[in-house]
Amino acid sequence: MAAALSDLKVIELGEMVSAPYCGKLLADMGADVIKIERPRVGDRSRTRGPFPKDEVHPEKSGLFLYLNTNKRGVTLDVGRSEGFEIFEKLVAGADILIHNVTPPDMDRIGLSYERLARLNPNLIMTSVLPFGLSGPYRDFRAAELTLWCAGGACVLNGGGAEHPELPPLKTFGHQAGYQGGVHAATATMAAAFGRLRGESGQHVEVSVQESIASQLEMTFEFWPYMGQIATRLGQKPLQPIETMKCKDGYIYLCCIEEHQWRAFVEIMGNPEWANEAIFADRLLRGLNWDALKVFLEEWVGAQTVLDLYRKAQARRVPFAPVSTMGDLLSSENLKARGFFVDITQPLAGTHKYPGAPLKYGATPWEIRLPAPTLGQHNREIFGQRLGMSAAQMDELNRRGII
Amino acid sequence: MGKPPLSGIRVADFTWVWAGPYCTLQLAYLGAEVIRIETQTRPCVTRMLPPWPDGKFDGVNKSGYFNQYNQGKKSLALNFKHPEAQEAAWRLIKQSDVVINNFAVGVMEKLGFSYDEVRKVKPDIIMVSLSGYGDTGPYREYVAYGPAQVPLSGLSALTGYKGWPPMHSGFSYADPNAGIHGAFAVLTALYHRHKTGEGQYIDMSQWECAMDLLAEGILEYTMNAREPERIGNRDPQMAPHGVFKCLDLPEKINDLTIDQWVAIVCADDPEWGRLAHAIGRPELANDARFKTLAARQANEDELEAIITAWTSKRDVAQVVAALQAAGVAASACADCKYLAEDPHLNARKYFVELNHPEVGVRKHCGIPWRMSGTPCEVKAPAPQLGQHTDSVMSGLLGYSAREIAALRKKGALD
Repeated sequence: MAAALSDLKVIELGEMVSAPYCGKLLADMGADVIKIERPRVGDRSRTRGPFPKDEVHPEKSGLFLYLNTNKRGVTLDVGRSEGFEIFEKLVAGADILIHNVTPPDMDRIGLSYERLARLNPNLIMTSVLPFGLSGPYRDFRAAELTLWCAGGACVLNGGGAEHPELPPLKTFGHQAGYQGGVHAATATMAAAFGRLRGESGQHVEVSVQESIASQLEMTFEFWPYMGQIATRLGQKPLQPIETMKCKDGYIYLCCIEEHQWRAFVEIMGNPEWANEAIFADRLLRGLNWDALKVFLEEWVGAQTVLDLYRKAQARRVPFAPVSTMGDLLSSENLKARGFFVDITQPLAGTHKYPGAPLKYGATPWEIRLPAPTLGQHNREIFGQRLGMSAAQMDELNRRGII
Repeated sequence: MGKPPLSGIRVADFTWVWAGPYCTLQLAYLGAEVIRIETQTRPCVTRMLPPWPDGKFDGVNKSGYFNQYNQGKKSLALNFKHPEAQEAAWRLIKQSDVVINNFAVGVMEKLGFSYDEVRKVKPDIIMVSLSGYGDTGPYREYVAYGPAQVPLSGLSALTGYKGWPPMHSGFSYADPNAGIHGAFAVLTALYHRHKTGEGQYIDMSQWECAMDLLAEGILEYTMNAREPERIGNRDPQMAPHGVFKCLDLPEKINDLTIDQWVAIVCADDPEWGRLAHAIGRPELANDARFKTLAARQANEDELEAIITAWTSKRDVAQVVAALQAAGVAASACADCKYLAEDPHLNARKYFVELNHPEVGVRKHCGIPWRMSGTPCEVKAPAPQLGQHTDSVMSGLLGYSAREIAALRKKGALD
């Protein structure tokens, strides 16, 4: 099987999650991705961990190792004019540049599509930016948490009506970064496909805030359609759709259709309380959730997660375990599908990582290279691709440019 | 200016609910002709769900939920109880580049549209299935609903206030995540097909696709055999790092008080110093309790109380403006009203406001990217159920007016 994107040469000037995840999606499908990092310090995700045995080490950070598979790595200070010139040489020979340099820094170092397109008119340049390249928030400072909030996702989660005093709650990890990255990868591939069909290169600008605002379920439309505000404080109209404690962990109850509730009642052995008029339909169960919850907590609390999950699924009731990391790693289903992959990087060792987001029938998703060590491919790329001599590279290295 | 990147690409869209429609929405944004295959007997779930302009269900074309995620698509209404409807779908598939569904495993086969059958009539088809658990494996027939995919993926176990049980993400986040990864996959497969002439089948498990977003949690386990602790809005490397109370909205909305919050992050000591000045407490910049990250983390409850004392007396937009002016990362924790009125999103013309025949002009979220050479735009609002049945049948599928009338009479076009 031939890799789908093996003819694409990509330069990634990316930090943390958004641009690197975009680069990873392309690299894992075969693109030749060269990642540029700052000399000496590297990508900030090298400091984030998790680290094997908690030993903080720039070559052992799990987040970096995950996000940068299949890339070759060079170090280059693009903030200095000599560094920028070398960067331009790399971009001149590339199909795609992916970056998440913020607009104020783009201005400062002189990074613009117009400038690079003069060297390479066929270039696709993808800018993954917190708020895009225009508008009053263009130069706003941003972080994962502030973007998850600015996009409208965070307000939907939290302690609910019972705990209005608790703040809206961030979803784990770097979800704003991931969504910026995958939306950017989609737009980038569209531009690459267009180019394959005769269009020229172009600038693709992706706003992380807009990527999040695009996926708020039905909640955004409550304002334009009904003049209402959807927040974490709303009472759920239907029940049970809730996390609940079992003997050995948590399960997610999910009875959306009436037949699912009836099947659940049978699984519980048709207790008398289930016939009460106040639980007669899903809306009533929502209204009388406080009462229903007490009965359910007692019964569910005596079950084990896997047993209840299997019994529910056997009757087509869409319960799910609240999976712990251990549950995921030991899942028979994920094992049978070969989801997790072993990746060996010489310094960090061998560990299991999340694998392919989709299984392609004809074009492989595969790990060919572990994430690069800092500057690992400097000699290969600067020497072979740009024709620098060893002496030139030593000099640039001494001056901190590479 | 070039044409939209997917102009001339046709998608036979069997998707429903959210994950699949979010996938084909991206393709419509990029200029593909997306034709939804729908039915009156079992309309898309989101056509039946709120929000509705009149506050109650009043027909299958008025849901803001459906109208958001089906912008720019066409609707062809077929009733597969009739073999003639099947024949019409085959004519569509033969002229399509991509076939997408997010049914449970086995449903497409039951409808007669298995990949093996489809590739017989269209060998280079790209066929995508976005199911909850994937096409293979012992759980392949398990039922998956959007809200349950978040806890299943492991995200819930990682999300929550410190010391609390696992929490949700607040919306069915695994659905759009599956949809957008599906769109990326379609583009990758189109790229490959254009070079080689080869189509392919793509199998997605929404569960697996969501796990690609939590490598940090998974690696904590595979590297150190530990379950990560839930830490709320805090961060191991930054403090303050939280969501803070502001003044409530001055007006009530539907008799409800609407609370407002702001997210504030200081990535390092100088940023903390700037925040301390901005909130009128410059002496705290070098206070031993807060001077270093370690100190701020050791005293984080106190730190958050000090910030809350300042934010809670102010309007959220004021707080954001003051902190951004001081060089501190701060954004409103935007709700739908805040987003709809956001001066930035409006200045960027992010929202789509087209006239829909049944709901009029409403704001919908738009395209999160701009392409300089091949601009993308939403050309039409979401389709009414069956709105394009006649035009697609008579145009693309080559039925005569008489044939269409006969099929309609039989109930094959529903």
